[in-house]
Amino acid sequence: MDIFTQAEILLRDAQYETWTWHGSAGPVTCFESAALMGFVHVFDSADALLGAWKENEQIALGRHAASLREAGAKAWNVYSVFLTPDQNARRRREIERIEEDFSLTRKIARAFITTPDDVEKALLPLLSIRSKPLLGASNFETRLRTRLKDISPDAVTSFLSETTPAEIARILGATS
Amino acid sequence: MRLEFIEVCGFRGFRDLVRINFGRGFTVITGRNGVGKSTLCDAVEFAITGSIDKYAVEKAAKESISDYVWWRGDGVPNAHYVTVSFIDDSGKPFTITRTRERGSNRSSEEIQSALCRGSAPDDALRQLTRTSIIRDEWIAALSLDLSETERFDLVRSALGALEGSEAGSKAKAVVTAAETAHARDEATYEAARSRLADRLTQQSETQAALSRSGDVAGALQVIAASVPDAPTELMARLAAGRTALANGLARLGRMREALQRGREVVAAQAAYNAQDAVAEREAALQAHAAAQGAHEAAQKVVTEAEQRLSREEEMDAMAASLSLLIEHGERLGLHDAHCPLCAAQRTPHDFATGLAAARRRVTSLASGVQEARNALASAEQSAQKLGLTLQKAAAAVQALADELQRMRDQEVALVEFYNQWGLDHRFIQDPEGLEQSISQERDQLIDLERALLVLEASQAVARMSTIEANISTLRAEIEQLAQSVRQSQNAVIAAREIERSVRRVSAEIIDERLAQISPLLNELYQRLRPHADWRTIEYSIRGDVRRFLSLKVGDGLNPQFVFSSGQRRAAGLAFLLSVHLARAWTPLMSLMLDDPVQHIDDFRALHLVEVLAALRLEGRQIICAVEDPALADLLCRRLVSTPTEGGRRIDIGFGPVGAKSVVIDREINPMPVGVLRGVATA
Repeated sequence: MDIFTQAEILLRDAQYETWTWHGSAGPVTCFESAALMGFVHVFDSADALLGAWKENEQIALGRHAASLREAGAKAWNVYSVFLTPDQNARRRREIERIEEDFSLTRKIARAFITTPDDVEKALLPLLSIRSKPLLGASNFETRLRTRLKDISPDAVTSFLSETTPAEIARILGATS
Repeated sequence: MRLEFIEVCGFRGFRDLVRINFGRGFTVITGRNGVGKSTLCDAVEFAITGSIDKYAVEKAAKESISDYVWWRGDGVPNAHYVTVSFIDDSGKPFTITRTRERGSNRSSEEIQSALCRGSAPDDALRQLTRTSIIRDEWIAALSLDLSETERFDLVRSALGALEGSEAGSKAKAVVTAAETAHARDEATYEAARSRLADRLTQQSETQAALSRSGDVAGALQVIAASVPDAPTELMARLAAGRTALANGLARLGRMREALQRGREVVAAQAAYNAQDAVAEREAALQAHAAAQGAHEAAQKVVTEAEQRLSREEEMDAMAASLSLLIEHGERLGLHDAHCPLCAAQRTPHDFATGLAAARRRVTSLASGVQEARNALASAEQSAQKLGLTLQKAAAAVQALADELQRMRDQEVALVEFYNQWGLDHRFIQDPEGLEQSISQERDQLIDLERALLVLEASQAVARMSTIEANISTLRAEIEQLAQSVRQSQNAVIAAREIERSVRRVSAEIIDERLAQISPLLNELYQRLRPHADWRTIEYSIRGDVRRFLSLKVGDGLNPQFVFSSGQRRAAGLAFLLSVHLARAWTPLMSLMLDDPVQHIDDFRALHLVEVLAALRLEGRQIICAVEDPALADLLCRRLVSTPTEGGRRIDIGFGPVGAKSVVIDREINPMPVGVLRGVATA
C-alpha cells in the first residue's frame, strides 16, 4: 500500500485539494480545504520519523512561508502529518507523543500505517464523520410473521391489524 | 432546521433584553463565569419543553428551579419571556415564546410537529433537548455514570420509536385477553363439573333408595288405612302419609308422656293409701288432739296462777299500807289511853299487843306474792312446752294434708292432659292399657313409614331416568367446555408466543440498530482519544426483559472505573455525540455545548474541537459556550464558515450599566482558499 496515494484519495474524498511537492527531504503531499491545510510526510521507519520530523516540518513551512503569511487566521490551521508503516511497538508511543507538541503546526504522528484503514484512522482529525449509520426500515412485520410461522397466519394478520385484543384471543383459540 | 436566535428578558440571570443571533454554521459564545452562557442553553430547553431538566432533582428549602426561572435580582425587568426561533432549510421560521404570565404561544404538539418527524420516541421534546444540548453536568452523568439500563434507554430513545413499538403493548393486551378468556372457560368448565358431581351424588342416593323398594300395593294399603281420607294422587298421598306419620309420632310422644304421668299418679295413690301411711295419719291426728288438750289445760293453770298472783299483789299493797299505819301509831303512842289510830281506849299492854298482832298480819299478807309468782312462772313454762308439742303435731297433720293435696293436683293435671290432647279417659287409671295402646300405635307408625319409603323408592325410578338424562347432557356439555378450555389454553400459549416473539424481534431490531451506530461511537471515541492505550470502545447488550448497555475498553474493562475524570468526560462526550448523530427523527441540525472542556486537558480539548469541526463539515450547526477566549478563538478558526453557513463569535459580559449583555457580536467570515498554492482568494 502506498501511504501517499491512500492519503490523497481520502483527502480528496473529503473535499481537500491535494498535490505533491518534492522538497529537499523528499516528496510531501500538500492539502488544503476551506478551513485547513497541511503536509503529509511519509517515513520508511520509526527511527527516520523520529529523527527527521522537525526538520521536515520546518522545510515545508519555510517553502510556504510567504503564502502562510497572507493566510490570516487560516495560518493557524496548518497540519503536519508524519506517517510510517514501521511496526516498532517500542517507538509507537514516542511517535504519538509528537502530537502533543503544539508549536508551529498541529501534528499527526502515527506508526503501524499498513492498510488504507490505518491511513483513514490517522487522518480522522482532518476528515468529516466517516460512520453514517443507515437506520432504514426494520421490516418488523415480515420478521414477526417469519418468527410466528407456527401461529395461524390469520391470527398474525389480525394481530398486526386494528383487531381488538379480545378478538385476537378468540381467533387464536379458534385457529390453534 | 436550525436555531436562528434567542431573545430573553427577565429570564434567569438576564434582567434586561438580550438577543443572540446564531450563525447558520456555528456560534461560539464566551464570557466569564456567571455572565449567563449556560442560561442560553436553559432558554432553548425552557422554550421547547417548559422546564429545565438540568435542575429537575435539585431542591433546597422547598424551592426548585421553577421558583428561579424568572428574574429575582434587583430591579424590575420590562418583561418576562423567552423567545427561541428556528429556521428551516427553506427559510421558514418557527418561533416559540414563553412568558411568565401566559406560558407558551405554542402547544407541545405544535412544537413536536415542527421539531420532530417520523417515528419520534416517547417524551420526544425532552429527548430532543437531552440529545441536542450537551451540558458540562451531563457529559459524565448521562453517559458513563448512567446505569446500564438507563444508558440502554437513552440510546434506544435516541434511535426513535421503532417499527412495531406498539406491538409490545398490544401483545401484552392479547395475552391478558387470552388469559381472561381462559380463566372464564375454566370457571365454566369447573362449574359444569361441580354440577355433574351433584348429579352423580343424586344418582347414588336414588340408587340406594331404589334398593329399598318393596310391595307398592301393600304400602298403599297401609297408607290408606293410616290416612283413609288421603287424596288418590300418589304424590299427594305420599305427602298426606308423611303428615300422618309426623302427627302419629307427635301423638305417640304425648301418649308416652301421659303414660309417665299416669304412672306417677298411681304410685302416689298407692303410697297414700298404704297401711302404714293410714296408721301414721291416724297417729298424727291423735297426737294433735292430745297435744291440743294438754295445751288447753296448761293454759288454764296459767290463768289461775295469774289470778292468784294478782290477789297476792293486792294484799301485799294492803300490807304495805298497814305497815305505814302501824309505824305511824307507834310513833304517836297512846293518847290519853286511847289508840291514836282508832280512838279506842287501850292499855299500853293492849296497845303493844295490838301493834304486834298488826305486824304479824302485815307479814302474813306480804309473804304470798313470791310464791304466787313462782307458781305462775312454772305454769307458763309448762304451757310453752305443750304449745311447742302442739305446733309439731299440727305441722305433721298439715304435711299429711299437703301430701293429699299434691296427689289431688296430680290427678287433676292428668285429667286435664287427657282432655287437652284428646286422649282416651279409660287409660287415666290404666297405665298398662295405655302402654299396650302405645305399642300398637308405634307398630302402625313403623308400618306407615316403611310404606312411605317403599312408595318413595318407586318414585326414585322415575327420578333416576331424569338424573341419568341430566348426567348425559352434562357430560356432553363438559366435553364441549373442555374443548373450549383447551382452545383458550392454546390461545394463551399462542398469545405468549406472540408476545415473546414481538419482544425478541424488537430486541433484535434494537440490537441491530445499536450495532449500526457502534462504528459511529467507536469513530468518535477514536477521534477524542480519551486514553493512549485503549483506542477502541466496545458496547455489549444483555438482558431480555430489562436491557443493559455496557461499555468496555481494552480487555473487558469498564471505563467508568479505569478512566480519570477527564478521560471519562472525553469518553462520555463520544457517547453523547454518537447518540446525537444517531437521531433520525428530528430535522434539528443544531448541537449546543455548554462548556464541554471542563476537566479536559488541552490535547483532548483540541480533539474535541476537531470532532466539532468534523460535525460542522456534516452541515451541522454548532453552538458552543466556553469560558476560555483562546479556546473560543480556536473554535472560530477551526469550525468551517461558508458563505451560506457562516459563523459568529459572541462575547457576553456586563454592559455599561452593569446589566448582562452582548458586548461583542461579530461574524466569522470564510477563510481564504488556495493559500498553499499561492493563489489565495478570500
